Amino acid sequence: MRRTSVIVVIGVLVLAAVDPPWPRTPAPRAQGVDVYINVTGGGAKKLNIAVPEFTVVAGTDTAGLGKLLASVAGNDLTFSGLFSVVAGTGAIPPNSPDARGQLWSEFAAAGAHAALHGLLALRGDRLETEMRLYDLTTPEHRLIAAKKFEGATAQPRRLAHKIADQVVLQFTGELGIADTKIAYVQGPAGAKEVWMSDYDGANPAPATRNGSINLMPVWSPDGRSLAVTSFMQGYPDLYRIFPFERRPVQTLASFVGINSSPAWSPDGRYLALTLSKDGNPEIYVLAVATGTLRRLTRHAGIDTEPTWSPTGQQIAFVSDRNGQPHIHVMDPDGANIREITSGGFHTQPRWSPKGDTIVYTQRQGTHDLWAVSPDGSNPRRLTAGPGDNQGAGWAPNARHLAFQSNRLGRWQLFAMLFDGSPPTQISQGAEDRTSPSWSPRLP
Amino acid sequence: MGTRGLHLAVISLLLLGVMVAGCAMRPATTAASGAGRSAPAPAAGAPGSSSASNPSGAARPVPSEFVAVRDLQDIHFDFDRYDIRPDDAKMLDANAAWLKANADRLVLIEGHCDQRGTNEYNLALGERRAKSTMNYLVSQGVQANRITIISYGEERPLCTEQSETCWAQNRRAHFLVKSR
Repeated sequence: MRRTSVIVVIGVLVLAAVDPPWPRTPAPRAQGVDVYINVTGGGAKKLNIAVPEFTVVAGTDTAGLGKLLASVAGNDLTFSGLFSVVAGTGAIPPNSPDARGQLWSEFAAAGAHAALHGLLALRGDRLETEMRLYDLTTPEHRLIAAKKFEGATAQPRRLAHKIADQVVLQFTGELGIADTKIAYVQGPAGAKEVWMSDYDGANPAPATRNGSINLMPVWSPDGRSLAVTSFMQGYPDLYRIFPFERRPVQTLASFVGINSSPAWSPDGRYLALTLSKDGNPEIYVLAVATGTLRRLTRHAGIDTEPTWSPTGQQIAFVSDRNGQPHIHVMDPDGANIREITSGGFHTQPRWSPKGDTIVYTQRQGTHDLWAVSPDGSNPRRLTAGPGDNQGAGWAPNARHLAFQSNRLGRWQLFAMLFDGSPPTQISQGAEDRTSPSWSPRLP
Repeated sequence: MGTRGLHLAVISLLLLGVMVAGCAMRPATTAASGAGRSAPAPAAGAPGSSSASNPSGAARPVPSEFVAVRDLQDIHFDFDRYDIRPDDAKMLDANAAWLKANADRLVLIEGHCDQRGTNEYNLALGERRAKSTMNYLVSQGVQANRITIISYGEERPLCTEQSETCWAQNRRAHFLVKSR
């Protein structure tokens, strides 16, 4: 990949201006990618991008995939919050640099800064695509980047997601999050199953079908499995399911009492969880490979809902040890417990993948999402109705959140930018949908 | 399960070495392997499996084998509370008397919550309600080894309206029995 000159500079060239007091997980950066957009700044100006219909260079596009892929990639770029897709029509014929140049000039005149052109080859059950990214602010419409992707014809949307993620990488230095899944709970009280869909709600499919009550799916850091609390054996036990593989359900914890609230350590080797086997709900850490269990909390009140900091050096959790449930933080051996929220009813802490924020749910009549710094400073409201807004799950970019809301009646899943822009509904249907868990970027 | 269990054990030994060598957490010396599993809960036998997965499942009766009886009354709880209210203590006294008079029955106590609050927290809250109820019955002379508890959190409401009357009905401990 060639290093390109900086022509379209929007925002600042650094990813974050202030260093947090703990080591930051380095953002994945491709060699030689210039950062055009400051992804952490709220309300940044958007980059205008043209996404015309993909050009079919081989095979016959009976299913309209050229249109579909452009539409899906365009929606992904809009969802990212970094781009405005410039409206326009017209397909570029294969091998027509002149027609392409003409179209780019028209889009540039309409305000586009950049253009995404997809090439599509249909080869039976395989699809090959190439994304080409152009800088429309230069007279020659300089080619910024080109990359090929291949996938199954049965999953065309996934190729569009990969292309959109690559475009985000080219402009921000970090891959986008369109090629991800959301796991969630669907069904009426007493008959809930775990489902998963693409991050945009497409391709919903069941991940459990055991006819009991299945709750709180949480993706493992490798994106291959989900920890799920299920009553499939009669009691609330903790299981691991492998939704992409033909592999049996693995029992993680089935102690007397509750086995719930799983939280994977960032390296995936440990699971923080809530067990009540020793008398009341306490937090433990399970070494997944060996089954070794370590108890972290010892208190007569409720301790539950652990969530790891991305460095693995801290665990936030909920405790009612001071009266109402509040968010607390401790070391991963259970030492140094301190309360970081007060004066309310606070549950569902979720530590940001970038480490600098913990999102939680505050009950005050209804439920809304709040955020607080891990040291307890700067508590701030993220949603203000309508209805209840709760159960947040971070996207791997630490910029987007999925959550459940009954603002339209039934519980449905929504996603929003962490900076508070209006939510997008991502699930549809007659049944309640709750407890979203956003997958890591898929392998 | 046989070869799979063996396979897991071998992997476990290998990974234990890796974990001790390169553990990102603080040293795990306080958690001797398997020790965390040996503490028996009141109503269960001591688990002893060396694979993490199912240490105590065999000790638990099957919830679906229990049935409700008219003689055992539900008790109810205040919002976000798990202490026994004075009026409900009288009902528990009656429940305890019936259980002592019917010593051939095992009892399952279900802890339930209303739909407010969040699923995870309510699962823990329901557990505390069932546990408080169990402790009270034991204090009244019911043998602990006859009692099993289960929390359903907010997952099995009796009533689904959005009203305090309905929520109050859902914040309950419910009793089911089966013969030994």
